[in-house]
Formats: sequence, structure tokens, C-alpha cells
Amino acid sequence: MVSTRQTTSGRRIGYYTALWAVALIFFLPVLWIMMAAFKSNDDILSVPPKLAFSPTLDNVSRVLEESSTIPYFINSAWLALGSVVVAILVSLPAAYAFSRWKFPFTNFLMFLLLSTRMVPATAAVVPMFQMFNAFGLRGRFGMFILYTSFSIPFSVWILKGFIDGVSERFDETAIVNGAGRVHVMLKVVLPQVKPGIIAAFIFNLIFAWNEYIFNFVLGDPNTQNIPFGMSVNLLSAGGNVDWGFVAALSSMYLVLPMMMIFFFQRYLLVGMTFGTVRGDV
Amino acid sequence: MADIRLVGLGKEFDAGGVVAVRDLTLTFREGSTTCLLGPSGCGKTTLMRMIAGLEVPTTGKIFFGDEDVTRLETSKRNLGMVFQYPVVYRGATVREDIGLPLRVEKLPAAHKAARVDEVIALLGLEEYANHPVDKLNSATRQKVAVARAVARQAPIILFDEPITNVDPDFKLQLKRTLRELFSRLNQTIIYVTHDQTEAMTLADDIALMRDGSIEQMAPPRDLYGRPESVFAGWFLGNPGMNFVPVESQPAVAAAVLGGAVPDGVTAVGFRPEDVLISSGGPQRGAVEATLGHVSLATGGQHLARLLHADLVVKAKLPWDSPVATTRGSQVWWSVPLEKVRAFDRHERAVNLVSAEQ
Repeated sequence: MVSTRQTTSGRRIGYYTALWAVALIFFLPVLWIMMAAFKSNDDILSVPPKLAFSPTLDNVSRVLEESSTIPYFINSAWLALGSVVVAILVSLPAAYAFSRWKFPFTNFLMFLLLSTRMVPATAAVVPMFQMFNAFGLRGRFGMFILYTSFSIPFSVWILKGFIDGVSERFDETAIVNGAGRVHVMLKVVLPQVKPGIIAAFIFNLIFAWNEYIFNFVLGDPNTQNIPFGMSVNLLSAGGNVDWGFVAALSSMYLVLPMMMIFFFQRYLLVGMTFGTVRGDV
Repeated sequence: MADIRLVGLGKEFDAGGVVAVRDLTLTFREGSTTCLLGPSGCGKTTLMRMIAGLEVPTTGKIFFGDEDVTRLETSKRNLGMVFQYPVVYRGATVREDIGLPLRVEKLPAAHKAARVDEVIALLGLEEYANHPVDKLNSATRQKVAVARAVARQAPIILFDEPITNVDPDFKLQLKRTLRELFSRLNQTIIYVTHDQTEAMTLADDIALMRDGSIEQMAPPRDLYGRPESVFAGWFLGNPGMNFVPVESQPAVAAAVLGGAVPDGVTAVGFRPEDVLISSGGPQRGAVEATLGHVSLATGGQHLARLLHADLVVKAKLPWDSPVATTRGSQVWWSVPLEKVRAFDRHERAVNLVSAEQ
């Protein structure tokens, strides 16, 4: 009995050690960047890497003093947050309709909707460039529309999964009690699919926050975001990359997605399983 | 308050491929509780959903009182409904959940709160009033759903098998609550169930359905004691009626009827509990049989099989009956004539008095 218990305990320790090891390996680049943000350029490039170093805030203050970086953050924030909020507002009624009215070819329409998200950005960017030029959409409004329209399919897909999990008996009970469809959607269904809304919000926020190629090709100075800023810094530096500056900018850029993932990780997991949390009926 | 009248009501699905309800004309009395009883797939839920406006009839009309509501939106029909699964709203307390339908009504807040308190007391939910609904057991959640339907004080309340999905331990408790509730309410109540005990317990009238039609509508006692069709006799009771076919068992049928079988009668039926058994030798008007398998049925009674040639008659005996355990012995059975029903070739009941005349 004792030996069985010891074996189980030994296995558990081995299992957790392996998990921690894998997690650390994946986290190492992030850790390197975050540490580099507080190192001098000499320390950053030293071989082997220095784990003990004198931390400095020079890199961070240089990022904050650089006139172009604050607009990068502002652009990233309004483009990501604004487009995702609008996308969720549009996606909720769409997902509700897809879930509740089984019109012909619903599944095919859902596939078409999601397929827009499967096209590689590099393949879509040239026709999009032509289109944006033709319609005069390059700039704030165009980028906002682009991120919104890219966020809608995925949001509809996630939300439909969650709404499918809410029994139609909830809708019928409310309708019998005198409620209209909008009331049912907002007051009955929405409170039950909050995890889905949070999951869709975070997934799309991270997409828009990280998006680079469309912003680079279709944007203008009013839409340049942090990934754009970093690439410009790296590309324009030639062989003299200011690694301290890049590391500090990257670290600051990581704060929002990391906070989102840390605080809402359970919703992300639920979102990845596409609404397996069912409404209680 | 309103009665509910159905006139020639029908519902087909899949472009006529499936007929769920056929040409129904009947009235649910104002202020009464009517159970729609029948086997699964007989159309009772579809009928109820048409009354609620959740399904559109293919043919016919629905009236609430004098008002034709056939095409009226569900939300404007002013009724309450309780579904098979306890529908409660996550995150709400019992009090909030019950008060939800009152939000759309233009009433003073104090009036709404008083109504909620009233139904909470009516359903014995006081101790849970401020509990989150998702933490309650299934029976209590269903009580909350019932309370929500009652709180609106709508003239009509529809129940779609509300006990079916409640945990077995709580079914009896909920049934008792509903029985008490129905005796206090004055609303017109339609209650769908496939459970005859539930229907017998709760209903003023039972509408027995089969293949989309109403087989018989009557108070429970009449429906059980005087079934108007072979199906009604077979479906109600545990087990259902015995049937003696006249063609293959003419002598037994004549013995049960106490004389010649009237013209047009093709079967005679009687309930297992109305069979009288004697082991004391041949008796006038009794049929000889061998006592077959005997089991202990619900309620402490013995359920015995009496074998007479190809005929098997089910009989219920008191648990202390001296004949109950002597399997294989010869017995004589009979049925009081007033307990016997006769049926014609359409499987409809025949009035024995007029048949003899």
C-alpha cells in the first residue's frame, strides 16, 4: 500500500516537473525580452546571457520619450478595442439568428463565414490593397472596418456555439411571458453566454492587437500600431538594432494581452471548446 | 378567465408527411384543469404548443373565450407556461426569477413585489427566496418555473410534462405541490403528461389522445370506469383492461355478459381489479381457469394470470387472498355486470342496455 502511494506520488512529481519544464521553455523568449528591457545593450548581447545584471529603466524611458511610440499605443488600443466591441455588437444578433432560425444552407453559410478567417493574410493583402485604394478606404476608417470585419466571423462562430447551448425553452418561456425577440436575446440569452462573449472579445482583441501586415500595407500614419512601430525600428536600424529599445517596447506591448490572458484564462479555455458550457435547462 | 375552444384544429409537419394533430374540436372548460394524456408521439405537446402560439396550426381555429387567437403572437396571448425542463435564469435569485415576467407589465413596483411574495408563499418557496436559482435541486427549480408562470395571473396556464425531468426523489413532492396549487387557482389549466397517475391525481378532466386525435375526454373517474374505446380501456390502468374477443371466446364472453352476446359486440372488457376469484368449486356464471403466474403488484396486491384455453385474464387480488399463492390450482372467475364494457368492431364502446333492446 505504501509503495503504491509512493509510486503515485513519484509519478505526480515527474509529471509536474515535465509540465513546468515545457512551460518554461515556451516562456523563455518572453522572459528574455522582459529581462532585456531592463538591461543595458552590453548586457543584452553578452554571451552567455547574464542572469544577474544591474537593472536600468533607461530603455523604458527612451521608449516613453520617443515621440512616435505613444501614438503607436493609442492606435493599437483604439483599433483593437473599438473594432472588437463593434464586432461583438454585430455578431451577437447574427449568431442568435444562425442559432434559432435553421434556414436552408445554414451550415454552409457558417463555413463561408469562417473561411474568411482561414485565408492567409499574405494572400489577401494584395487584393485588399487594390480594393482599399479603389474605394479610398486607406486610413483610420478603413482599418477600423477591416479589423471589425475580420473579427465578426470568429465571434459569430464562437457565440453561435454558446447560444446553441442555451435551450430554446428559455426563449419560449420569455416569449410566452410577453417578451419580444430583442428582449429575449439581450435579457435571457446574453446573460447566459457571457463566457462566450468574453472569449470572443479576447481572441479578437489579441488578433487586432497583434496584426501587422494589413496595418503595414493598408494603414497610414494615423493607424500605425505597435507591431508596425517595432518592425520599422528593426528594419530601419540596419545592423545597429537598438535591442534595449525594442525589448522595452515589446515588453510594454505584451502587458495588455498578458493581463487579458491571466485574468480571463478560464473563458479562453471555454471559448476554445466552442460553447461546451451549456445553459441549465 | 376564459375557456379554450379548438375548432377543426390540425397540424402537419414535413409538408403533410407527418400529421401530429388531426381535426380536433373540443373545449377546455374555464377554470378547470384538463390533462392531455397519451403515449409519446400522440400529438399532445404539439397541441399545447399551438395553444401557446409556439406552433402555427395547419388547419382550424383556436379561441380564448370569444377571441380568435389562431394567428395572434405568443407574447400577446396572455398565458403562462411551464416546460418539461425546469427553465430558470442563471444568476438570478428565486425572487428575481419569479419577478421576470412582471417586468414587462405596467404595475407599481410594490404591487409586483407583493405578487411575487404571494406566489412564493403559495409554492412554499420562502426559505429559498433569496437563493440563486442555479443552486437549487430540480424539483425546487421547477417550482420556481411554476411560480413564475403563476405570478403573471394570466387566465390560462399551460404545463408541458413538468414532472418528467425532475429527480425521482422529488417527483412526489412536486406532484403534491401542484395538486394543492391547482385546487387554489381559478385559471384554465392544460397539463400535458404521459403519466396516467399524474393525470388521475391532478385533472378535473382528462383528454386522452391517440395519433393526433382525442380518444375520449371525461373526468378521471369516468374515463377509468367507463372507457369509450378499447384504447382508453387498455391505456388506463396498471395493467390495463382485459379484453375477451367474442369471435374466438364466445362462451367466455357470454358468461361475462351473463347471457347472450348482443349483436354488434366484438369484445368485452373489464378491469383486473373487478375480477372476482373463487376456489370453492364451480359457480353459476363463473368461468373456470387455471391460476398461472402470480406476482406482487403495486399497492400490496397480487397480480394473477388466469389461463383459460388461449385466453389470459389479468386479475388483482388482495395480498392476503387464500387463492393468491396456489399456482396451478383450478379457480372460477367472474365479473359484476355493471363493471363490464362491450365494444364494437370499430373498438368503440357499446351501450349494453340499448344493445340488448
